[in-house]
Amino acid sequence: MKTLPLFWPNPHYKKILGTALSGLCLFSSQLFAQNTPLATPKTIEYPGIIQTFEKLIQIDTDKFNNRSNDLMKNGRLFSDSSSVTSLDLEPDFLNSVILHSKAGYIKLASQSKCSFYDTILTDLLRSAEGKITNVIITYVNKSGSRESSVISRKDFLTKVVSVECPETQKLISEFQIKNIQAAFASQVFEIPSGQDQCQIVHASWLKNPKTPYMCQIYEYLEEARKGLGDPNDLTQRRAVARVLEQKITHSQKDYLSNLCNHLDDEVPFCEEFLNVSFWNKVAAGLEDKIYAHSICAETLGIQNPNDAQLNQCLARMKKESDLCLFQNSKNRGLSPQIDCDALSVALNYSSLRSNYPDCPIGSDQLGLTNVTRILLHKSKSAVKPFEGSCSVVSAGEAFEFNERFDNDESWKLQACFDDKLNEKEVCYKTFFGSYNNNEASYTQVVANILKNTRGADPGTKCSMVESRDYNPLLLQFKSGCYIIYEASRCFMSQCKHKIIFNARPIDFITIKNDLNIDYFPTTVQGERFSQNYLLTHDYKLTGRPLNNLTSITAFFKKSKKAMIHGVGCGEDLLPSFFKSEAMGQCTPVPFIIDGMIKENDKVSFVTRTSMDSLQAPRIVSWSNILSTVKMYQRYHPLRIWTLYGLD
Amino acid sequence: MVWINLMMLLMGVAEAVELPKFLTKHSIDSVRFITMDGRFAYVRKRPGVLGLVTSFKSTDFITDESGSDFIVKDSSFKRRLAIEVIPSVHHKFDPYKKNKIMVVDWGQSQTKEIGLGVKAKLHMDDEWISFFDPVEKAIHLQNIITEKKYSIILSPKTNPFFSPEVEMITSDTVTYTDINEKGYAAFISFNLLTQKSTVIYRAPQIATRLELCSNGNYMMVGEFPYDGVERGSKLLYIGLGPSTNLAGFTTAYSSADADIGNMVCLRESVYFIKTMRHSKLMGSKTTEAARLILKNFQLESKTSMEHITQLVHMDDRILIPSRGEYFVLEGRANLSDDTLKSTPTKLEELPLEI
Repeated sequence: MKTLPLFWPNPHYKKILGTALSGLCLFSSQLFAQNTPLATPKTIEYPGIIQTFEKLIQIDTDKFNNRSNDLMKNGRLFSDSSSVTSLDLEPDFLNSVILHSKAGYIKLASQSKCSFYDTILTDLLRSAEGKITNVIITYVNKSGSRESSVISRKDFLTKVVSVECPETQKLISEFQIKNIQAAFASQVFEIPSGQDQCQIVHASWLKNPKTPYMCQIYEYLEEARKGLGDPNDLTQRRAVARVLEQKITHSQKDYLSNLCNHLDDEVPFCEEFLNVSFWNKVAAGLEDKIYAHSICAETLGIQNPNDAQLNQCLARMKKESDLCLFQNSKNRGLSPQIDCDALSVALNYSSLRSNYPDCPIGSDQLGLTNVTRILLHKSKSAVKPFEGSCSVVSAGEAFEFNERFDNDESWKLQACFDDKLNEKEVCYKTFFGSYNNNEASYTQVVANILKNTRGADPGTKCSMVESRDYNPLLLQFKSGCYIIYEASRCFMSQCKHKIIFNARPIDFITIKNDLNIDYFPTTVQGERFSQNYLLTHDYKLTGRPLNNLTSITAFFKKSKKAMIHGVGCGEDLLPSFFKSEAMGQCTPVPFIIDGMIKENDKVSFVTRTSMDSLQAPRIVSWSNILSTVKMYQRYHPLRIWTLYGLD
Repeated sequence: MVWINLMMLLMGVAEAVELPKFLTKHSIDSVRFITMDGRFAYVRKRPGVLGLVTSFKSTDFITDESGSDFIVKDSSFKRRLAIEVIPSVHHKFDPYKKNKIMVVDWGQSQTKEIGLGVKAKLHMDDEWISFFDPVEKAIHLQNIITEKKYSIILSPKTNPFFSPEVEMITSDTVTYTDINEKGYAAFISFNLLTQKSTVIYRAPQIATRLELCSNGNYMMVGEFPYDGVERGSKLLYIGLGPSTNLAGFTTAYSSADADIGNMVCLRESVYFIKTMRHSKLMGSKTTEAARLILKNFQLESKTSMEHITQLVHMDDRILIPSRGEYFVLEGRANLSDDTLKSTPTKLEELPLEI
């Protein structure tokens, strides 16, 4: 016969249970009031595993105090480290530190012995007494027995830390208030552009010996702001905090807040970068305004919006995603771009340097546009002064690159004139526009020709002037050399223009040949003259072909600033922009991949074709990337694989 | 107005139909055009050389610089072919490049030069040809026989690389697509005699593009979004006849999906690339070739390849280029057999040397 357990609920069990629970709650509120300290248990050994946290804290506090007092009473004060060996922190003291400190700072402290000491000195670690003023150590003395001592924080620094970690004194000096600005200026606050890069960045901060000192500043500012700590010196601390705040930028403070609060967990650390809207970062000054400038100029109808107008526009961009589809500046590229939400994600994962305009609409040699993007990203050098369409930046940088590595013979575009005196045609290598006053700039070439043929002064300089800005009636145009060009018909290698010198047209200068270059080699003999060869052999970038998803994923994981460049058929890369109308049709388009996005087992890449604006990447699936390169390989003269990783 | 209700759409799970690869006696990379029966093939014989290969003869009839390649296009009228000679394909990546445009009679090798431009297309019984000048932003139309020429200058626009689609429906009416400075696409009719244009259809949203194709007695206007833009898609059917009313179009298909389009018009049906699944964050789409039957506007999915981006229409054969291969969706796939065909036509015979 089956019997019910004795305590099985009867029909009135709900009432009884409710009464019992209510009674228990009332009773417990009497027993476990949060505002009175627990009574110290009879023994101070740590109790079993299941105890209230409050009880543990109380026990630890009592134990620490008792131990410190014992050691001080018995005169166990540490003198110097030279006469002892096996110096360690006492385990109970260590337990106390772990119990009372934030998990992030414990993780920082656990990197190395010197990290641990630094986190103590910077008040990031706490013990039962709050900020650590006394350290309990254990060591083996001269007679070989192990004993413990208490040491003041000041003595800890001079007698232990300075001996075992000599770098610490330098760091303390570096982070004095008078030196803080320089210390922060010299530190790179790297913004990661992908999950894998973010893990590397987070790990590097954990290993950085300056991190405890930076977090100390953050904690100091937070404490002053919240009014925590000793109320007696709060006013003074707040005054110091105001001085410190002026020495650190807003974006550095935000970065430190994210870092110091998430030292123990890279996931929330990375979310701040990867999941926060890119437009928030622009508004906060963490990213360049160029990403939103053209879009906002168009949206607001103002050529140069000020900060307040820009912020207003950025707020709109987060709500009206279509605002990013078109922009009407000279820097625009393939349109429409992706919408603001997708663009924010793409830019969060992007690492290509893109803080300058390079006007892809002005490029008629996209290979050079792509090469220059790689060069300026790797060199980080400033964009030199230029005249004409901003696509001359690509032409000028690429020319200097080829010239530097003795490949200027591949540069066939020339401006020529008939030298009647010597009865021959004289030609100079050139590109349209002016860049860095390079001798091959069209402005310089024309000036040289005028000096040779029209007796122009040695100091004659030619200027590029857009046709809409040219007015022959104005005095400024009555003398001097001007190259009047039509902006919509002026590219790197061809340009509808006229030359005016001292108010007279010059029409005897002819342009010969074209800007044909091998991006990847098209013949075996010509391999050495291809742009990819120059990048990987002469410019010394490490380049390797990447022909499957596994190798690309590993490549991005390994290198913080990984970049991939390639050439593919536009019909497969962006099928809605390029339509196949016949068999064998392939429009070669160079592109750069500088970020990877993973979702479950799907992978996509942050991609900029050379026709896209530098500030407007796209998110392209691996499937499209594979198709585009495979199709181009089919039609390439050497059937080579045209997808290379560069680092 | 008849349009497809998506609930009635016959888009049942496509059987795993494996499409045959396109096989010819020539290397696939070298074929630029081949007829359905394989009798005539325009083949890139060597770099810069286009040849006509028939059953019994081979003629190199265009020789250009070694870096040149070719595009050969037909039309539904099958009287002529338009050829574009693309200079420096692998040396100059130029979005404004102008190709040499020529025409040849069907199956012949005697060329006639037309001009410089891109997107050459034959119209009106192959008597007219249109092409686009990407620098001047002008559509050029030329009668091949009389050599009468017309030009339509497009307005300045935000998309610097835009190229229009063109369809000629009568000898004095040409339709084309354009976009304005705000990014709205439009389907426009232009009268060559009066030089006046009329907007027939204007896209309700920015960032969509219009495609045109026609075959026989109809024209289809397709509206599809650009890559990376979330918009729906539609196909508008216009019957062509003695008194065509371009504005009297019927919506043959409408969907909230961001289809790729790239449509091809056959006599009885229209093929286009339809999006089956789409992840906006990842920029990835699962796409298949879909066929819209014109009789009843029923839609069928014809492939299960999951990643299709283009359809190529070549003498009523529909090809799908995919990762370096061509697969045949409609038409004969295997042209590689050596069986002797029926008596050769005069075009194919070797000239007698006596």
